Amino acid sequence: MKALVIDDSRVMRRIVSNILVDVGFETIEAENGQVALDQLEANDDVALCCIDWNMPVMTGFEFVVAARKRPEWRNVTLMMVTTEGEQDQIVRALAAGAHEYVIKPFTPEVIVDKLQFLGLVDVKESV
Amino acid sequence: MTIPATWEPLTDADPVLTIAQDLFSTMIDGEPGHLYQWMGESPSLEDSRYAWVDVSGPVVTRVMLMAGRATGEQLTRALLQMDDSEAVSDADFADAVGEIANVVGGNVKSLVTNPGALTLPVVTHQEPDMSTAFCLLETYFGWKGAPLGVSLWALAS
Amino acid sequence: MTLTAETFDFVATLVRQRSAIQLERGKEYLVESRLAPLARSAGALDVDAYVRGVRADVTKHDVVVEALTTNETSWFRDLNPFTVLRSHVVPDLVGNGRSTMRIWSAACSTGQEAYSIAMILADNFPTVRSNIVATDLADQVLAKGRSGRYTQLEINRGLPAPMLVKHFERQGPSFEISSALRSQVVFRKHNLLDTPPAGGPFDIVFLRNVLIYFDVVTKRDVLRRVRGALAPGGYLFLGAAETTIGVDESWERVPLGPSSVYRPREGNVT
Repeated sequence: MKALVIDDSRVMRRIVSNILVDVGFETIEAENGQVALDQLEANDDVALCCIDWNMPVMTGFEFVVAARKRPEWRNVTLMMVTTEGEQDQIVRALAAGAHEYVIKPFTPEVIVDKLQFLGLVDVKESV
Repeated sequence: MTIPATWEPLTDADPVLTIAQDLFSTMIDGEPGHLYQWMGESPSLEDSRYAWVDVSGPVVTRVMLMAGRATGEQLTRALLQMDDSEAVSDADFADAVGEIANVVGGNVKSLVTNPGALTLPVVTHQEPDMSTAFCLLETYFGWKGAPLGVSLWALAS
Repeated sequence: MTLTAETFDFVATLVRQRSAIQLERGKEYLVESRLAPLARSAGALDVDAYVRGVRADVTKHDVVVEALTTNETSWFRDLNPFTVLRSHVVPDLVGNGRSTMRIWSAACSTGQEAYSIAMILADNFPTVRSNIVATDLADQVLAKGRSGRYTQLEINRGLPAPMLVKHFERQGPSFEISSALRSQVVFRKHNLLDTPPAGGPFDIVFLRNVLIYFDVVTKRDVLRRVRGALAPGGYLFLGAAETTIGVDESWERVPLGPSSVYRPREGNVT
């Protein structure tokens, strides 16, 4: 499965990508919302987008709004991964069409838990 | 200048320490216990670097991180899971330290009622001119024996 | 900042005696980080000073052990039990005429399991009333469960964002669960080796990831007590690594969807 990691920080893209690769994703990256839209156009097999909020050129929120206008992308799961932790922001992102929301900082388990709930990763029960 | 009312809770160092500890335990150290409150006098930083984000609003507020270059390189290696011997490029340094300021700033913002938008991080080797700003908080943490400063400022508009 | 060997050895011995958990040398940072908040709230200069005080005050020993043995817990841990609860277990009980679910979340820690159950019921079975009893040995975790307040890091662990915005409210650095859900869960101090808590008989018991810490005799004893507290037609959930097989044959393992539940064998008299 292919995931698109959208963050203006290369460090953060690498952290998120490493977690996704560990659970079996192939990842591609984008440094802002506009590049992410271009990536989605060019890759019709993206199943998941992990989206930072604050980025230059086009924010993650604007990206979610733009991506949700495209019916052909309705099966793409959109997960915000951002330092924005106010309840209002979470509500706004979900209302705009994001499925999940991770607040930075996070551990790999946080991302994996969410992907399990979304049915994108098999559930391995803990001991 | 007076302190913006909604920022009052953050003039205490405890919430900021908790935010920083959460960040370090999850993404830098992988376990709790390595970041602590620096006791005693404010330390001096060697070859210091500054990273900050601003929160817009009636009064623009700045969340600033201060670290010596060597400490910043250690942080970069930890975030990127690099070996101690690996050289840290300026681009990785600015990206990593800027992202730390971004996460601390974003979490600080979450504690304030009706905050404005967060700016993208800025990283410099020169202390920004804060002569007209009002310092809400300046506190130091210890990490691997080295000091790390966090300060909060209300900027004059 | 580092602890003295004296402090560490005292704490490690205390924890080993009370919980059978081994704290090896090299775990000084863990002792430091877990005890620092206690030291601060007690007004001690540092953890060494705090532990010096604790040595002379037996009433503080429990708090220290709790601080070092409380495990991280997550929302909807392992997911499958909650899927099965929604898809099979509650519909079956409702089909058998239950309009109120009595549920026991045993060894509940800070309450994420109990509240996860409460959310499943509230979101999927709005007409079913639920009375959830959540028990643990440790006062500190029970107090936290009762408060219904969780940090951002705790919220991040497994709580789906739509449920977060539906059932929680941000209060400064923490998120607080709604009073409606909080009122459905009663937290009680309870030892699994004692008589089951009041609030039963229970239609559903969650006893997950606890039995693994006990020897087989103790496991059998705990399972016998749970069986006595289970209502006819009731369900028991165990952890993925746990089973009644080879321990207590009066239970039957029933595979359901992606998971398994345990039910008392019919005609079994104990």
